[in-house]
Amino acid sequence: MQVETQIGNYFVTYMVFPAFPKSNQRGRINLYATHIDTGTPFQGEVTFKVRDDGWFQTKQEILGVQPSDDNVYRQGFVFLNDGDYIITAEYEADGEPYVIDFPLRIGAPSGRVPIVGAVILVFTVLITVSILQRKHLMRTKIRSARRETQT
Amino acid sequence: MTMTHPGLPFLWGMSIATIIVFTTVWALLAPSPRKAGTGGWSLARLPVIGPWLRQLVSSPWVLLSLKLVMVAFFLLVIFAGLYGTPIPERNIATMLTWNLWWTGLIISVLFLGTAWCAVCPWDSLAQWLVRHRLWRRANPNNSLNLRVPRLLQNVWPALLLFIGLTWMELGVGITTNPYATALVALLMVVLATISLAIFDRKAFCRYFCPVGRTIGFYSQLAPIELRPIDSQVCADCKTLDCYHGSAQVEPCPTWLVMGRLTQNSYCISCGNCSQSCPQQNVAWRLRSPSVEAIRTGRPHWDEAWFMVVLLALTAFHGLTMMPFWEGWISILARTIGDSGQLLWSFSVGLIASLGIVVAVYTIVVAWTRHLIKPAEPFNRVFSTLAFTALPLAFAYHIAHNLNHLVREGAGLGSVFRNPLGAGTAPYSMLEQHARHLDLLINQDVLFALQALLMTLGFLVAVQVVRYRGGQLLAGQQRSNGWRLAPMFLFAAGFTGFHLWLLMQPMVMRM
Repeated sequence: MQVETQIGNYFVTYMVFPAFPKSNQRGRINLYATHIDTGTPFQGEVTFKVRDDGWFQTKQEILGVQPSDDNVYRQGFVFLNDGDYIITAEYEADGEPYVIDFPLRIGAPSGRVPIVGAVILVFTVLITVSILQRKHLMRTKIRSARRETQT
Repeated sequence: MTMTHPGLPFLWGMSIATIIVFTTVWALLAPSPRKAGTGGWSLARLPVIGPWLRQLVSSPWVLLSLKLVMVAFFLLVIFAGLYGTPIPERNIATMLTWNLWWTGLIISVLFLGTAWCAVCPWDSLAQWLVRHRLWRRANPNNSLNLRVPRLLQNVWPALLLFIGLTWMELGVGITTNPYATALVALLMVVLATISLAIFDRKAFCRYFCPVGRTIGFYSQLAPIELRPIDSQVCADCKTLDCYHGSAQVEPCPTWLVMGRLTQNSYCISCGNCSQSCPQQNVAWRLRSPSVEAIRTGRPHWDEAWFMVVLLALTAFHGLTMMPFWEGWISILARTIGDSGQLLWSFSVGLIASLGIVVAVYTIVVAWTRHLIKPAEPFNRVFSTLAFTALPLAFAYHIAHNLNHLVREGAGLGSVFRNPLGAGTAPYSMLEQHARHLDLLINQDVLFALQALLMTLGFLVAVQVVRYRGGQLLAGQQRSNGWRLAPMFLFAAGFTGFHLWLLMQPMVMRM
């Protein structure tokens, strides 16, 4: 997997090996940062952090602090569980802090969740519609029966 | 490394530019045209295939078989997207959806009109889930049959969904994500089912479906239409089975009466009218592809916006596949402090592109209105002249999609053999190069087709301005064509812009 992006004055390229990492399997992140105007590679240190990619997840762990190795920042990892994670790369350049998030998927995403979700949603709507229609038909029958008895 | 497809050669571009200049000058000087003919040629009246064709459209079996095939492919796309390889060029979900269906769909409109809607898999699944019938008329009590709120009885919902789809396609990048592709497919089924369960008839097809409305508008330029064989039979009809349905056949899902049908936009080619008509008076008819845009299509405010935004989106689509697009977005991201996937920058680019096209069109309409001094209000002139956008958008859309189909359709065979891409690796650079050079048709033929499309699109647009403008100029001298100059310049300018886009190298999608 490869993500190319930019932040402030830097173009940042993020690569993950293997392209689709799995849990309990060693993997590596390669990060390249070059100045947009001059093309000069960044030479300071980069801190790699990780957190779960959830709406209310704030707990972050430091994966490591890496120096430049031939203009590449390499960070190894092993994840114990499948899931969506956010890798944060932090560095300081020209007196400015740079913080950039990248997605990292460990293992294949669940195929069952969207299908089950869609089926539950559809059947909830269909059952609700069916109940409402039955009530409506019942009311119509009662009304017409009343009308008949009145006449 | 980014790989690009070569653009249209300079010579082709200059040839089309010359045609544009000469046609524009001619249109400015030529007198306003008289009324256009609306005649067609009913295929049902053909000596040999006519009766066979009549039988075909009045039988539900052919359509049902096609629906079953489409649903099978659709379910395969969902399954492969959710459980197959995440490598987009190895998974049938992305290859079939974006490289074959999405590109081929627009091209199919040119030959088959809205035929896709007749076999649409998400509508078929919704129909079977809600109505519990494969084809015959169902118990209406399976749905709440509510009327669509007046606020939504227009194409604004479809327009917003289409902009959203474009955002997901080009901004989020679902075209290279099999999982996201499957999610969008599931979403379409859910939306169609909920709409069918709540609203009367097929409100989703009529008002909300971004795909159906897009091909519906484009089908105004299709050379075929589903129409009465004998209009007098419809005029004398007292039962309107086409609208109300029969004991066995559902009513028209989009509230159309065959005898009064003048435009293809909302016809979903479902064939209910041809199956329910007791006189078997409905059949496919060949016609001039421009007749609806020129004459029979009725101008509406929301539809006009759809057509103008369609023009903007097609141009935007092309723009995002230019090698310089990333540079533009990069500059914008630096300006607004965007990082990550640069979605904010992309969204600003999308909105700006839509805004610029709409603003230019509005200014051109205001200028034209000033020159022709009609009694009609601005909205009417805006809506009437919006048909000009249709051939411009359609021609470029097909020319652009042809590029994708011809140059990126080469790997389709392998994904049919291994739909989930099990055990496959991403293409190597060598394979990428080989695929890049493996075109479905000769490159010169592709260039000739693109040039032909751009020329035809422009010629139809000019005719639309002449005829539609002629209606606005009613009562004035017929030699007043120059008063429509802003619209001619708009058509010429936009075709020139599209031509320039086609002449640039295009970034390969996957």
